[in-house]
Amino acid sequence: MAYYPEPVARLIDALQKLPGIGPKTAQRLTFFLLKRPADEVTALSDAIARVKAEIVNCSICFNVTEEDPCRLCTDPTRDLRLLCVVEEPNDLLAMERTGQYRGRYHVLLGALSPLDGIGPEDLRVRELLARLEVQPVEEVILATNPNVEGEATAIYLAKLLKPLVARITRIARGLPVGGDLEYADEVTLGKALEGRREMG
Amino acid sequence: MALGESDRLATFYTREFGKVRGVAKSARRPRSRFGGGLELFTQGQLLFFETERSDLARVDSFDIVHPFQAAREDLERLMHGSWVVECLGRLSADRDPSPALYGLLLRTLRALEGPGPPSRAAFCFALRAVDLLGHRLRLDRCMECGKPSPPPARAARLDFAAGGLVCEPCARYGSDGVDLSGGAVAGLRRLRTVSWEEALGASLSPSLEAEMAGALEAQMARLIGQVPRTTRFRTQAGRPLGASR
Repeated sequence: MAYYPEPVARLIDALQKLPGIGPKTAQRLTFFLLKRPADEVTALSDAIARVKAEIVNCSICFNVTEEDPCRLCTDPTRDLRLLCVVEEPNDLLAMERTGQYRGRYHVLLGALSPLDGIGPEDLRVRELLARLEVQPVEEVILATNPNVEGEATAIYLAKLLKPLVARITRIARGLPVGGDLEYADEVTLGKALEGRREMG
Repeated sequence: MALGESDRLATFYTREFGKVRGVAKSARRPRSRFGGGLELFTQGQLLFFETERSDLARVDSFDIVHPFQAAREDLERLMHGSWVVECLGRLSADRDPSPALYGLLLRTLRALEGPGPPSRAAFCFALRAVDLLGHRLRLDRCMECGKPSPPPARAARLDFAAGGLVCEPCARYGSDGVDLSGGAVAGLRRLRTVSWEEALGASLSPSLEAEMAGALEAQMARLIGQVPRTTRFRTQAGRPLGASR
């Protein structure tokens, strides 16, 4: 990138390191930023610097937080008998958006992935075990993603937690709300049948 | 090809085209037309288009023929199956078809779904895959002196650089390979000649099977150029948390 001034080349290079951003997009974003007012660009750079400086992982649940322990872990109205295990902080937010869960969380910060060589020691599994020993719960809800990695993680955790927890559940899998049976593949439909519930 | 945040990169092993890597548009969306079709081990009918500006194909559809679900829903089966697909993926080039390797992969996935131990399916896959990929090791004579391979009681060295067995007097200290007992040499020779079903069902002592599987894993690691990631995963998943690394 010898034809770009050094600061421009540096920003293009930095933006390219972000997920889903290639050289063309990095270039487009850089020139977009150059056209924006200085205060807007300063606000963006401040926001990036602040998020890195002020956000930490909660030492109990490993969610991202400004204060440690996080609000969810110190909230006295949350149900201490329930613990929901998710892969990433984004999954925790998705669960919170449902408004139907009032227990606490544990964020693994990843999922087991044989093909990527990500094993239990790379996740916050040891911390989960330690937490359950100190503060037992009645039910652990395994809310990992319904893909191979998420399933592998759930299977592994279910086996590991069995001696520690009376009830281990897995979130239901199957058809999306508003979906058509006709277009569902056999794996999804099979899972929906497997998880069917009595009515009436 | 531009990759959107809901797109997914997927690798297929096909009968007609060999390994095909492609982009499945919007595959991460809950209502994606791919559904569960792009999950690991799924056999299906692939429709893809070549794109001029990228090595990646554009995946139009992937209709499930058989999901091999049982191989995904048991950690032990998943680990061995993942090792199989990692080895195949890393040792085969893009668009280099091999119907024999495709057939071997299907047989292995069927075996992984079956009642037998998944480790045996992965071992039998490796034994045949190295042959099909052109890396068959000679086990009938010493690669250095040419003498016939040792009798069952004598140990030998499987020298990967030499391309097969090297008898005890010819073996060089520190050469790239593994030591094998006479029983393991005989076992490997026999299992290469019997049918797939016979190899899957052959009665082997656990220590002998572990020795033979270890030799094949070492050969795979050498061919790939590093220890497969799935081997690292298996090591971690197999030991208690907190044990020394």
